[in-house]
Amino acid sequence: MLSTTESSPEVLATEGRRPAGGLWGLGQGFTVHAWSSTLAAVAIVLIWAASGAGDFWPVWVILPLLLALAIHGWLRVLNLHPSIWRRPHVTFALAVEAGVWVSLLLFNTGIWGAGGGGSFWPVWPAIGLGVAIAIHASVIFFTEPSTQELSERIDVLTSTRAGAVDAEEDKLRRIERDLHDGAQARLVALGMSLGMAEQKLADAEPTAAQELLAEARVGAEQALRELRDLARGIHPPVLADRGLEAAVRSLADLSPLRVDVSVELDRRPPAAVESAAYFVSAESLANAAKHAQAQRVEIRIGRRGDKLRVEIADDGRGGANPAGSGLRGLRRRVEALDGTLLIDSPPGGPTLLRAELPCAQ
Amino acid sequence: MRAVIAEDLTLLREGLTRLLRENDCEVLAAVGDGEALVRAVVEHEPDIAIVDIRLPPDFRDEGLRAALRARERVPGTAILIVSQYVEHAYASELLADRGGGVGYLLKDRIMHVTEFVEAARRVAAGGTALDPEVVSQLFSRRREDGPLERLTPREREVLALMAEGRSNAGIAEVLVLSVGAVEKHVQSILGKLDLAQSSSDHRRVLAVLTYLQQ
Repeated sequence: MLSTTESSPEVLATEGRRPAGGLWGLGQGFTVHAWSSTLAAVAIVLIWAASGAGDFWPVWVILPLLLALAIHGWLRVLNLHPSIWRRPHVTFALAVEAGVWVSLLLFNTGIWGAGGGGSFWPVWPAIGLGVAIAIHASVIFFTEPSTQELSERIDVLTSTRAGAVDAEEDKLRRIERDLHDGAQARLVALGMSLGMAEQKLADAEPTAAQELLAEARVGAEQALRELRDLARGIHPPVLADRGLEAAVRSLADLSPLRVDVSVELDRRPPAAVESAAYFVSAESLANAAKHAQAQRVEIRIGRRGDKLRVEIADDGRGGANPAGSGLRGLRRRVEALDGTLLIDSPPGGPTLLRAELPCAQ
Repeated sequence: MRAVIAEDLTLLREGLTRLLRENDCEVLAAVGDGEALVRAVVEHEPDIAIVDIRLPPDFRDEGLRAALRARERVPGTAILIVSQYVEHAYASELLADRGGGVGYLLKDRIMHVTEFVEAARRVAAGGTALDPEVVSQLFSRRREDGPLERLTPREREVLALMAEGRSNAGIAEVLVLSVGAVEKHVQSILGKLDLAQSSSDHRRVLAVLTYLQQ
């Protein structure tokens, strides 16, 4: 019995997804068990009848056979229908215990009846086992999350997942627009300059052709610069190559503000976490320069337990709008990783932004 | 100038090979990955390896690492790294390896053919060619410090060109000044920044970059 309750519910549940067939749909093993028990019972009853049919002693064999069959049957039911125990405040072990409790109660009642009745002693083992089950159930009740907690968690996950999908959509649309208005347009213009240069050469006007070619080269350079900025906005190469610290220091170097960076990491976080931490820093730096009119910014990155914490503090005039597109995008990005984003930016400043991202060891 | 090229994109590899050959450079080998680069450098012992920083298999900085490995095998080989983006962190790594000429340029610069070939020759001869973009990153790092603020705008221009690795004559040409005038600016800059005089251009570049990277 113990060995069965300890085996993994996951494995049993997976097994249960197979169509079972057999007696009452409980599978081949249970059917064999049921038929062999029946045969044994019939044989014993025949022996009893042949030996003079006195006091009905076969009941002492049949009752344990029924007990074993009942417990086996209940385990099969649980395997085949995990929905019985896969719900808040119920576990596989608890469901097994309840089935065993009912089977033993019936078994004891049978023994009591076969023994000639009298004082109903089966009540005592039933109370004992009942108390054990009640203790088990209350332990589960107080240690497992409540249905309400779980449904709140589902709400959070549903909305953050939708936010992540929206953020992805927005980003792809912005990239498409940047490509269309930027590099693609420049390449068309470049092709036109080259075409005209070709004409001028055919017309033997080398000076005009040279001017057009120079123009084409400038266009190509601009297209390259725009593509480079675009690529950096999608995923900066230095982040993949050298990690978060180098990438954030590079951001700091490019910022017009005085930026102090301190990074304390023993090893590199997962790529998605690094990337979110990078973009939180990038957006905050851009906001500090553009909106907050800050002079100095401090970026601190480090581990707090199993979380990566990114803090950006500036000395600007505050008043950041958490509903603005930039900060909303950041929040989506952080929440998609199950992290939290805190924005403290009272009018008059200063602004503190803190992102905490789960970062398992 | 005898060169080996490492660039994984066929279009660019062939374009670069053609461009160099038309400018009287001997292209000994043009390969597509880091391992092949090391083998080609060992086999041909070129003056210069012109290498795309991002090469297979990991498409990160395999080119830079392979070039440094190749130089370990054949000391003195000049390295010119070309890239779609520049980060001064890479420049620092490249400059820290003082085994010969080094260059780090955006691929955009290849379009200025004459200047690009000139920069490659400078690197092949043991000099330095640092992209103006890297230099401006380095300058912006030092925005708050006193000594740079004491330079005149003209001196800052001259310092930036020094950091790119140009000689006094090269600086004179870019700024349309006489070599004598450039020399005067250089003296003044070195004095204001408290840097030692140096006879060799390469040592001068290193002093300037070390100063900017502090």
